[in-house]
Amino acid sequence: MVSLEKVKYKLLMKILIIEDEEELANSIAEYLSGENYLCEFASTFNEARNKIEVFNYDCILLDITLPDGNGLKILEELKKENKQDGVIIISAKNSLDDRINGLHIGADDYLTKPFHLSELTARIYSIIRRKQFSNANVVNQNELQIDLLAKTVSVNNEIIALTKKEFDLLVYFIGNKNKVISKSTLAEHLSGDFADMLENHDFVYAHVKNLKKKLYDAGCDHYLKTVYGTGYKWESL
Amino acid sequence: MIRKIWVSELDEHNSILAKTTEEHFKEISLSDEELNDKLSFWNKIQPGVFIEKDLSGRNLKDSIFTATSKSLHLEDKTDDNFRVLITTININGTPHYFRSIANYEDTKETVSAIAIVTFFFIGTILLGLLLINRYLAKTIWAPFRNTLDRLKNFNLNTQTKIEFEATDTIEFDELNQSLSRLIAHNVSVYKTQKEFTENASHELQTPLAILKNKLDILLQSDDLTEKQYNIAEDMNKALSRSSRINQNLLLLAKIENSQFDNAENIHFDELLQSSVDNLQEHFEQKNILVKMEISKNVTVNGNRSLTEILINNLLLNAIRHTSVNGYIVITLKNSIFEVANSGEDKLDEELLFKRFSKLSANNSGSGLGLAIIKEISKSQNWTVHYRFENNHHIFSVNI
Repeated sequence: MVSLEKVKYKLLMKILIIEDEEELANSIAEYLSGENYLCEFASTFNEARNKIEVFNYDCILLDITLPDGNGLKILEELKKENKQDGVIIISAKNSLDDRINGLHIGADDYLTKPFHLSELTARIYSIIRRKQFSNANVVNQNELQIDLLAKTVSVNNEIIALTKKEFDLLVYFIGNKNKVISKSTLAEHLSGDFADMLENHDFVYAHVKNLKKKLYDAGCDHYLKTVYGTGYKWESL
Repeated sequence: MIRKIWVSELDEHNSILAKTTEEHFKEISLSDEELNDKLSFWNKIQPGVFIEKDLSGRNLKDSIFTATSKSLHLEDKTDDNFRVLITTININGTPHYFRSIANYEDTKETVSAIAIVTFFFIGTILLGLLLINRYLAKTIWAPFRNTLDRLKNFNLNTQTKIEFEATDTIEFDELNQSLSRLIAHNVSVYKTQKEFTENASHELQTPLAILKNKLDILLQSDDLTEKQYNIAEDMNKALSRSSRINQNLLLLAKIENSQFDNAENIHFDELLQSSVDNLQEHFEQKNILVKMEISKNVTVNGNRSLTEILINNLLLNAIRHTSVNGYIVITLKNSIFEVANSGEDKLDEELLFKRFSKLSANNSGSGLGLAIIKEISKSQNWTVHYRFENNHHIFSVNI
C-alpha cells in the first residue's frame, strides 16, 4: 500500500511565473524543471490576469513591476476571488514600504532580486507544503522524518536535537533536492544581508558539519554530499 | 485744563456782567441820589456784585484774581474760592468801582463729574475696541492660522496633498492657491526623484539577477569540473558585491534626499543587543573576544531601519578589520555608542568616511559602509568620530 502522502508528493506542482524579463523566467523554469514542478509563464499584466482567472496554481511567482500594470493588482484580485494559490513576490524593489505593503495585501513571501534560485525554490517548497498540509506537515525520506509544523526532526522515530540554524539548513536542502548548492549561496542564505559583507564563509562549513554529524549519528543515511570541494547536494532518489 | 476753561468762563461772565450793568445803567437815567440809594440797596441784596461810587478817583484798571472767603451760601462752614473782577464802570458820567465775584467751588465737583464721565467713556471705548480687535483678529486671521497649521503638519515624505480651507479673504485665498501649487509641484518633483533612484536601482539589479541565476544553473551541469565550479563561485561573490554596492548607493541617495522619516522612538540598546546576537557566529569564526557595556533603556529619536544599518555597519566593519583572536569592545553609555577594535596602524581620518576610499587590503566591503554611517548620522543629527588610541580603532557616535 502506498501512503497517500507519497502519492501527493509525486504529483506535479503547478507554478505560474509572472515575470517580464524572459531570461529570468527561463532560468527559474529551468532550475525548477528537475523536481516535479510544472511551470507556466506570463510576461504581461493582461496575460497574468487571464491565466489566474482560468487556472489554479500551487504557487505564483509575481514580479510587481510589469510593463502594463502593477503586479500588486493581480495579488489583490487573487485575494478578492479567495483563491488559495501561494504567492511569492519577486521584485528588484527592496524598500521596506514595498515589502510591508505586499505582505499586507496577502503575499506569502517577498524575495528581492537578485536572489539565488535555490533560495526561491526552498521558499516555494515551504509555501506549497504549508498550503497543502496545513494540519500535518511532515516530510518523509525513508528513515528521516521532518515535522515542518513542530519544527522537529526524527530519524527512525527518534527525535534529534537540531539548532535553529541546523533545522533551517536541513529544510533548505530538502527543498532543493538533487541540486548543487555552492558554499557562497549557503552563506547568503544563512546570513541574509550580511553574507557578502564578510569574506569568510567558514561558518557555513561548521553548520553543515554539525548537521551531518547529528543526522549520521542518529542513523540517517548519507543524503547530504559534499561536491566540488566546497559545494553541497542533498541526494534523494 | 477744565479748570482753565471754567475760570475763563467765569471771568467772561464777570466782565459781561460789568459791561451789561454799565449799559443798563446808561439806559436808565437816574439822579445821583436815586443812584446811590439803588446801589446800596443792590449791594445789600447781591453782595456778589458790588458797585460803589469811586470816590478815590483812582480809576482802577481791571484786575482779575482769585480770592477765598466765606461762602455765599450761609450753610457752608468752609471757605470757598471766588473768581473776582474789579473794574471801573461809568454810571452817569462818574466812575464807579465795580466788583463782581463768582464762586467756582462748584467747579471742583463739576470737574470731577466731568472727569469721571470722560474716563468712564474712554474706558468703555477702549474696552470695546480691545474686544472688537480681539474678535476681528480671531476671525480675520483664522484662515491664515489654518494655513499655517496645515503647513506645519506637512511632510514631503508622506506625499499627502494639502487641502486648505476655503476662505472669503482674497489675500488668503491667493496665498492658499499659491501654496497649493508650490506644494503640488514639490511633491511631484520629489516623487519623480524618488522613483528615479528606485527605478535606476531596479534596472541595475535585473541583469545582475540574470547573471546570478545563470550561475545557479551552470552549477547543475553534469560535466562541471571543480575548477569551473570555483570560477563560478568567484563570479557569484563578485555579483553579490555589485548588488550590494548598488543597494548601498541607492540607500545613500535616499538618505541624502531625506526620503526617510525620523520620527520613531527607538530602543537603541535593544537594537544593539540584537545585532550583536545576530553576528555571534561571525565573532566566533574569527575567535574575536567581545566585551560589551550596554546601558539599559537608551532611547533615541530617529529612523529604525537606518539605525539598524548604522549599528550593523559599525559592527561588521569592526569584525572585518579585526585580526583573528583580536577583540572588540562595544559600549553604549552617556549617549555615546562606541565600537573599538584592536588594530595596528592608524587609519587616515580624511579618507575614512569618503566613498570607495581604499584604506586596507581588505576588499570585501562595498567601500560605502562608512560613508553610509556618516550620512545616517548626519540625517539623524548624530555625530560620528574616529580616533586611534592604544592600538585601537575607535568609532564613536554621539546619539
